[in-house]
Amino acid sequence: MSGNLHQSGVRFLRQLGRHAEPIMKAYLGGSLADEELEPGVQELLVKDGILYRPEPGADLHLRRVVRALLEEALRNDRNRQIDANTASALAAFMTLADHYKEARHQGDYAAADVHLADLREHVYAFGETLRHSVRVLWGRINNEFGYVGTLNAKIRENELAQSQVSELLGGLELVSFEALAETAGDLRELRHLLVTNLQRTLSACTQELSIVQGRLLELLGRFREIRGRTRLLKGWLLHMAQRPDYQAGPHASGRAVPQLFNQAPPILAPAALDIHDSTLEAELLALLAQVRAQTQQDRPAHLLGDAPDLTLHAPETFEVRPSPIRAAVDAYFCQVIDRAQAISALDYHRQEALPWDPESWLYQVIGGYDGLPEAQKRHFELDMIGDPHPLYSGNFIIRDLRLWLA
Amino acid sequence: MLSIKGQVIERLLQGAFICRTTDEDGWRFLTIPGNRDEVDSYLGQLNRQVATVGTGGEGEVFFCGYRQLGDTERKVIGQQFRDICQALTPLAEWLVLVQEAAAQDAPLTEGAPVRLNALQTVIEDTPAFREQLARISHYRLFGSTSPTVDTQLKLVFKRLCELGYLTRPNPEKQIYLATGKLDYLYEVIRFIDEAEGLSLEAQAEVASQGQLL
Repeated sequence: MSGNLHQSGVRFLRQLGRHAEPIMKAYLGGSLADEELEPGVQELLVKDGILYRPEPGADLHLRRVVRALLEEALRNDRNRQIDANTASALAAFMTLADHYKEARHQGDYAAADVHLADLREHVYAFGETLRHSVRVLWGRINNEFGYVGTLNAKIRENELAQSQVSELLGGLELVSFEALAETAGDLRELRHLLVTNLQRTLSACTQELSIVQGRLLELLGRFREIRGRTRLLKGWLLHMAQRPDYQAGPHASGRAVPQLFNQAPPILAPAALDIHDSTLEAELLALLAQVRAQTQQDRPAHLLGDAPDLTLHAPETFEVRPSPIRAAVDAYFCQVIDRAQAISALDYHRQEALPWDPESWLYQVIGGYDGLPEAQKRHFELDMIGDPHPLYSGNFIIRDLRLWLA
Repeated sequence: MLSIKGQVIERLLQGAFICRTTDEDGWRFLTIPGNRDEVDSYLGQLNRQVATVGTGGEGEVFFCGYRQLGDTERKVIGQQFRDICQALTPLAEWLVLVQEAAAQDAPLTEGAPVRLNALQTVIEDTPAFREQLARISHYRLFGSTSPTVDTQLKLVFKRLCELGYLTRPNPEKQIYLATGKLDYLYEVIRFIDEAEGLSLEAQAEVASQGQLL
């Protein structure tokens, strides 16, 4: 028998697969016109219970079970069907449990196993249906009833969902574990199925349903608030159109000012810069550079024609007066070359009885050496004779200089 | 550099409304009660405090209010109240225009995007909206004198950004976001409605049913 069932099941599924196109068309469009299907195919699908005709002369529709299968598989949000019929499920449990007990009592273990498998299927299916219902509800909440357009429709959908949640919760209250435990008696399998398993399922679902209920209420509140805002705006405009000279009362000047209107005016003005703060130097310089760049850009460009005439005339004559101390430094350098030996600057100063202060003389020699062109400088070496400052590191006091040929 | 607390205090003292859209970090900072108390005690030295509007949680908007009200403060608040009352009608008309042009059920709320280009296309194609926009832009709040939809709309959006009702996250794109200050506006209308017993919602409902009939 089971081989037979297996075969016809496979045949049914193949039938679905072979006619997938018209079935999806019916699913999406709601119905299928007669002329869209060949009469043979149509007859076959109706016979297999995939399509049906709700009333004579009407188009063909998809059977509820096939539609539910597709909705589940495609996770379609339009699925609003929720099976809240706990009472009949419970009655089925009790009946099957009684069958099982009777079969065991009579020692017909094969029949008992079949009944137990059947019961297990029912209990699992019950849990699955519950979880599915919760999932469907969550799906609708998560996209905020996005499948309907207007706010009023959303509010109605929300109310529908809320009534479904209440029905589900009401149904779950019917489950009495005392009665179930009594039915199960001391049969281990039955207890496991009817008490442990069911309890776990129920507590999870009840908990989730209460969260769903909370979210639904919250959403409803939000929808109502949004609708309220629209009406508030329109109402205000309407009111102002009817009474253009309307003035709101002096709500902000009474003794107790509502918190809403208690708003302090801005008091913070931009801070001024402190040019004495050396830490800001880099930023200030950058700003200054910008200022300069702007003024340069602002300067209007002169046209060539506006430029004054360019005339060439003889430059005024001027005389470069040789400085005596410089001449002396030159002479000192010449003497170093002539003698080809190192001469101390101060010795030379004494020897020639130069009139200048020794310190200025030393400065002038250093200046003279540094002032030489690079090519000539290479031929001289200038030694600084002196010592580091006794207190402050990094300072070097020059006592004398010695120039010699490199 | 300022710490986030410093930034929040600065913005509050500048008269800004801190909501999730305009300043998410600051908003997050203020939603923590301990931080809010710290800011509060700082503002207390200036006779100010952190005030909020809107439903708690996500939609909360923070601004700076007075702590104690003397005569000067009362005068300032009274002036502000008159200002906002004068701004109510233009703003409400603008909100209704945006809502109807976008064919939405919900008016703009915090975080909702407005695409200026899309809005402009709809308004330009619909004479009724064009008239509405012209009327709105000629209110003193916006002060437009231009006859073209393009300049009127741009001016209105520019003013709304200045007033803090809209923000433009990317200056290169014509996409604006509504800020929490709009929620403040709704609260003001609701307050006036309740305080004066205008029953605006009922009026609107009756009117819309009348249209249906």
